[in-house]
Amino acid sequence: MFWQLLANGFVTGSVYAIAAIGVSLLYGLLRLVNFAHGDLMAFGAFVSYLANVTFGLPMVLSLPAGMAATAALALVSDLALWRPLRLRRAGFMSLFLASIGVALVLRQMILLLWGPQPRAYDVDPFKVYVIGDVRLSLAQVATILVASAAIVAIALFLARSTTGRVMRAMADDQALAQLSGIDVNRVILLTWVLAGLTAGLAGTLAALVQGSFDPNFGFQLLLPVFAAVVLGGIGSAYGALAGGLALGVATELSTWEGLAGGVEPAYKPVVAFGVLIVALLVRPQGLFGRARIV
Amino acid sequence: MSALLEVSGVSKAFGGVRAVDDASLSVEEGSITALIGPNGAGKSTLFNCISGFLRPDRGQIALAGRRIERLPPHAIVHAGLARTFQTARALTRLTVLDNVRLAAPSHPGECLRNLIARRGAVRRREAQVTEEAFRLLRLVRLEDYADALAGTLSGGQRKLLDLARILIASPRLILLDEPMAGVNPALREELLAHVLDLRATRGITFLVIEHDLAFVMRASDHVFVMAEGRVLTEGTPEEVRRDERVIDAYLGTDV
Amino acid sequence: MTVLSSGEFWAFVGVMAGIYTLFTLGLQIQFGLAGLLNFGQVAFMAVGAYTMAILVVKQGWSMWLAAPLGVAAAALAGLLVGLPALRLRGDYFAIVTIAFSEIVRWVATNEDGLTGGSQGTINLRGEGVAAQYNSQWERFQGWLGEQLGIRSKDVVMLLVVWSVALLLTWLAGRLARTPWGRVLRGIREDEDAVSSLGKPVFRYRLQALVLGAALAGLAGLFYAWQFSFFSPDDFQPLITFFGWMILILGGVGRMWAVPVGALLFGFLFAATRFFDFPPFSYLDSADRAYVRLLVIGLLIIGLVLVRPQGLLGRRQEMVLE
Repeated sequence: MFWQLLANGFVTGSVYAIAAIGVSLLYGLLRLVNFAHGDLMAFGAFVSYLANVTFGLPMVLSLPAGMAATAALALVSDLALWRPLRLRRAGFMSLFLASIGVALVLRQMILLLWGPQPRAYDVDPFKVYVIGDVRLSLAQVATILVASAAIVAIALFLARSTTGRVMRAMADDQALAQLSGIDVNRVILLTWVLAGLTAGLAGTLAALVQGSFDPNFGFQLLLPVFAAVVLGGIGSAYGALAGGLALGVATELSTWEGLAGGVEPAYKPVVAFGVLIVALLVRPQGLFGRARIV
Repeated sequence: MSALLEVSGVSKAFGGVRAVDDASLSVEEGSITALIGPNGAGKSTLFNCISGFLRPDRGQIALAGRRIERLPPHAIVHAGLARTFQTARALTRLTVLDNVRLAAPSHPGECLRNLIARRGAVRRREAQVTEEAFRLLRLVRLEDYADALAGTLSGGQRKLLDLARILIASPRLILLDEPMAGVNPALREELLAHVLDLRATRGITFLVIEHDLAFVMRASDHVFVMAEGRVLTEGTPEEVRRDERVIDAYLGTDV
Repeated sequence: MTVLSSGEFWAFVGVMAGIYTLFTLGLQIQFGLAGLLNFGQVAFMAVGAYTMAILVVKQGWSMWLAAPLGVAAAALAGLLVGLPALRLRGDYFAIVTIAFSEIVRWVATNEDGLTGGSQGTINLRGEGVAAQYNSQWERFQGWLGEQLGIRSKDVVMLLVVWSVALLLTWLAGRLARTPWGRVLRGIREDEDAVSSLGKPVFRYRLQALVLGAALAGLAGLFYAWQFSFFSPDDFQPLITFFGWMILILGGVGRMWAVPVGALLFGFLFAATRFFDFPPFSYLDSADRAYVRLLVIGLLIIGLVLVRPQGLLGRRQEMVLE
């Protein structure tokens, strides 16, 4: 049972982690609490659905299609909205409110285009792989493989590539951007592309694992993703990865009977927030955040 | 004269880096004491420890004989110690007048219960505080800006506002963190005059971090030199100026 | 266009705007005065409403006793959240409040024995018996209507809600101008500076949070009275963000901006119901509902671009560093 839960936790956690990267970088770079991120994820999932079910493409092609479309949308949103707001020196609250507006617009567009009914990808739901005591569906296995590869790729990109390092540095310390003569707009655009790609990926994988999904599922994912960002320390990219994984695993393991009988499964979503609150009380700046200095 | 502020053996580390390392100093009552040293010497960290914004890992800090190293910042103010910050911290969307009035001590109107139960006392104290605030604004020649939002003031004016603001609490000891930084020469003279005058007329003691050596030489009675978290040496400005170790400390870090 | 000319409909819109005024007034005290990012305001509304309903139905208390206790419970919840969480940095605090509001909603959904579960207050006595907490309030409404010579219950409600809302807005406006409010506004600007001026920042923040939570609890009471029934679904996080929209629509920092923003939001929300001209008339009713929210989303984005300081805000205050 323990290993099964651990595996489930890794599946959920890797989805959180991939989505949290984008949220964390955007916050670090733009001071944007992106409320539209969940709906961006849902958008990716639905474009993948369009490719997979409507056009009959295999998931191997549908997933990149969903990611690419989400990245394009993220790029357009920066050019059409976020850049003009930056030019006007819009404050934290203005950005936050605008992102609620974007979230509303996105979700209603998805509802208008695809309707409220639950959808599912064209994958075999009954195919199960058994490894020891652990039973994993095809969707879970695919998610584990793709997500692991993606997390490694993102981590390498952030650690090794110049662009990735600049992104991390800027997210960590904004004053740096002004001093170092970096082409800020270019880095921001690339960050939006990365945020879009990862949101599309995380959205599609989350939809795949859930089995069925509706246009509201993105928003339901948003809160745990935010929790993951905070757990890792806002603005820290690696922290977001670690926070996402930790949160997913903690949430699933909380129902384990070996853990003082475990929590009732109905309370699983609460556990994520409980973990977050406890973690913050112990370490107020998040797992990877830096302490505030006056 | 006796020591008003006594710092003994204070250490503070951030993630393994010892920002302040076993620092001790004492500030005589009625003196203007300067704290100098190259960048990164730990002066501001020591200030934050003294004023309660950081809790020292080790060591003791006493103000007029009373231990304060475990008190929160606001309680240290009540004990008679006020501070300014390296960049002036004007409350930008409050008026200049409100910036000063807000700093008034023991105002019954700052307690919710009194707003209903002791309305007369609140009104009387507010009138008193307003008068006092105007007096202090006149002192630093900001009275014309009383109703302007503090965010419209220049950097130098904000430093004057910071000074007026802490004076309303009648502190015994004022810590100034680089009062001359970012201030034009005319205002520098004015600030210096204020410091000397406040000591002469009100007997206020000052501990000042300052890079402007002209200020240090002209105003201070006593100088402490910090480098790499430690107090390197102390003495009169003249003694310190001739001390080779001080010159080395500055040269060693390219300042 | 029959609904448009219906007084009842507009009275309903007005009542909701009044309830949102109370709800958002709490946010204005927390954010506009003290700079607190409370993204979980809806939780305090839920605590107020549930406390009242549970005390009336399960303990048989008089509504007049249960109602103030509902407000007190919301305030207590604010205290319990604030004591640990207000030590956190602002953005972390925001996430903790959101987390708290989801925890409250999940507990309300799953603790059937306490709250009636996902079916809401109708199940407060268990399934099969329709529980009612509202009879005393309705009697009061009827009595008040008779005294005032008003037949429509909705109009009576409208008068009651707005009397309370306007009175409290006025009080909050006065509070903002007291020395107490001055300290809070200072904390909003720079907490370290205020703390270096000898003010116990934590205590002030806690007071602002608790006051705002109490107002949300009061909003919860009126919500419960207005609908005579509610369920955990009524306390979605979206409600909190409606409050934030109203706050920013009206203008941050000014108490009178709250009722103005709430009315504007209420009428925007209501007006988008009347998209029955082309091209909207080609859509079915479900799709029209989506278009409504879509238009509201676009309006919000437009407002941020054109007038970020809100209707009553001052532009100058937005640009000061």
